[in-house]
Amino acid sequence: MKKILFHAFAIILVTVWLFPFMVTLFTSFKTMDNLMTSRSWWLPPKVWHTENYLKAWKDANMSRYFLNTFIITIPAVLGTLFLSSLGAFALSWYRFKFSKVILMIFVGGMLVPFQMLLIPVYRLSIQLGIYNTYWGVILFHIAFQIGFCTFFLRNFMKTIPASIFDAAMIDGAKHFTIYSKIVLPLTVPALAALGILEFTWIWNDYLWSLILIQSDKYKPITLGLATLQGEWVTQWNTMAAGSIIAAVVPLVVFLMFQRYFIEGLTAGSVKG
Amino acid sequence: MAEVRLENVWKIYDNKVEAVKDANLTVEDKEFVVLLGPSGCGKTTTLRMIAGLEEITRGKIYIDERVVNDVEPKDRDIAMVFQNYALYPHMTVYENMAFGLKLRKFPKDEIDRRVKEAARILGIEQLLDRKPRQLSGGQRQRVAVGRAIVRDPKVFLFDEPLSNLDAKLRVQMRSELKKLHHRLEATIIYVTHDQVEAMTMANKIVVIRDGRIQQIGDPYTIYNKPANIFVAGFIGSPPMNFINAKIVRGEGGLWVQASGFKVKVPKDFEDSLAGWIDKDVIFGIRPENVYDKMFAFAPKEENTVRGMVDVVEPLGSETILHVKVGDDMITAKVDPKTKAQENQEMDLVFDMDAMHVFDPESEKAII
Repeated sequence: MKKILFHAFAIILVTVWLFPFMVTLFTSFKTMDNLMTSRSWWLPPKVWHTENYLKAWKDANMSRYFLNTFIITIPAVLGTLFLSSLGAFALSWYRFKFSKVILMIFVGGMLVPFQMLLIPVYRLSIQLGIYNTYWGVILFHIAFQIGFCTFFLRNFMKTIPASIFDAAMIDGAKHFTIYSKIVLPLTVPALAALGILEFTWIWNDYLWSLILIQSDKYKPITLGLATLQGEWVTQWNTMAAGSIIAAVVPLVVFLMFQRYFIEGLTAGSVKG
Repeated sequence: MAEVRLENVWKIYDNKVEAVKDANLTVEDKEFVVLLGPSGCGKTTTLRMIAGLEEITRGKIYIDERVVNDVEPKDRDIAMVFQNYALYPHMTVYENMAFGLKLRKFPKDEIDRRVKEAARILGIEQLLDRKPRQLSGGQRQRVAVGRAIVRDPKVFLFDEPLSNLDAKLRVQMRSELKKLHHRLEATIIYVTHDQVEAMTMANKIVVIRDGRIQQIGDPYTIYNKPANIFVAGFIGSPPMNFINAKIVRGEGGLWVQASGFKVKVPKDFEDSLAGWIDKDVIFGIRPENVYDKMFAFAPKEENTVRGMVDVVEPLGSETILHVKVGDDMITAKVDPKTKAQENQEMDLVFDMDAMHVFDPESEKAII
């Protein structure tokens, strides 16, 4: 009985969850006429039209936006992981004055509502001369993600026994060697999990790009999608196709690495 | 190889806790020195200061006549084996052992030669490609020792290396470490709370309590001539009997007068006790120096006491008796063929040549 209830509940959840995605998928394979005339918008198309994808990719400039997203996301993720792992290494292992305070600032930063920061970030980026550049978005992404990542990695690194650091010190390792040869390899599960999480977040970001980027040349795919929204008529099928293209990458990344993702969020680094 | 010297070394933490108080100690070349004490006594802190993992608050530490207070651990030419082994989990056994040599830029074939040599000595040649998690506790222990010996350091530091092993393996590793010490002719400083490890392996035992060194001596001295009540009680199992008593003048010389018995002090000790006549002292005698009268060698009236047997604990090779004599409970380690039965009276014979007397105020040994 319990099992049946559980399954019923799970089926309802999954249906509700997937419904918008399925409708988008179906829409992306329909023609505009079909969409306008048929009332059964939730049903799969009778004839599957793939030309929407071509149209979105080529005519709607999706290929450019797609590339831009990569150019922004990859350095932002790598930069976040690199800097936060350095910070976490220092905060987890070295004893120094104000280390607690610094950690609190990292955690506290996560609590500031980002809506409050939109205007200051915009003005700062203009003053720094990084408005409407790749660099601007990348740097702000790194800055905003680093708090959570440092906190997360620091807690993970805390589980590495202190004697391993001691042993490395006696073995003759310098500080950066301990970081690169001992701590990083042991933190791989956490880094992988964070990497996936950050990749999805930054890939799906809309707001910061909206604030920091003006010209089409630099727009990521999330902003690009918005340009497909016409003033009078929206090409729903093309837009759906574009959305699917945008969603495919994080989906693939997640499916490929989900094993690490679950492990990294739950496991400590060393046992026994 | 090298000599290590501690001169008035103190460790005081930020929260004013004094972990090590005024430690003075010389570890001579090729010596196996054991720092022994209950947990929290400061022995590991002392070792970590020698390693350079802990700052020295006051005093000086010398390795080979060089003050190393401000020298980094890697430049002290020491190797350390940790309680939880501290192997690098992501490296193979070979890589674990080679890591320190690689960082010191040893040529590849030299690293290979040393790692294989150490593996051969420790009997772990077939494990070189494994990761630490694929090893048993004893094997990890060997790798940890191997990682230390490939470096061929001046001083080896061991921090309770056997405490995570099961009893049988511990006995085996104990004798292997002892053999290794002879073979490598190394200077070893070894921390443990296990008195058996200390007694069996050390050339010199340093007994520490509450951050202060209580006594330094070879195992024989520590056992037979403990400097105070703490050392006397810490070494030996079951521990020494301590009985409140008085030294009195009586028939034929001095006697020890306790609540339930009176025994004669041997002539040799009378001079040392001259100043203690009619004063309170603590009389000490080890359980192994208390005999069942039936098995005692030359029992005499003057060293025999009568008591009521409380508990009999047969261990096979010997039997432990807890006997109530007057107000005191005396533990005796007697011949297993003893006829003693609980709640029956029996005669115990003290080997008075092995007696100890302590000052109840300062707890220091008088004899």
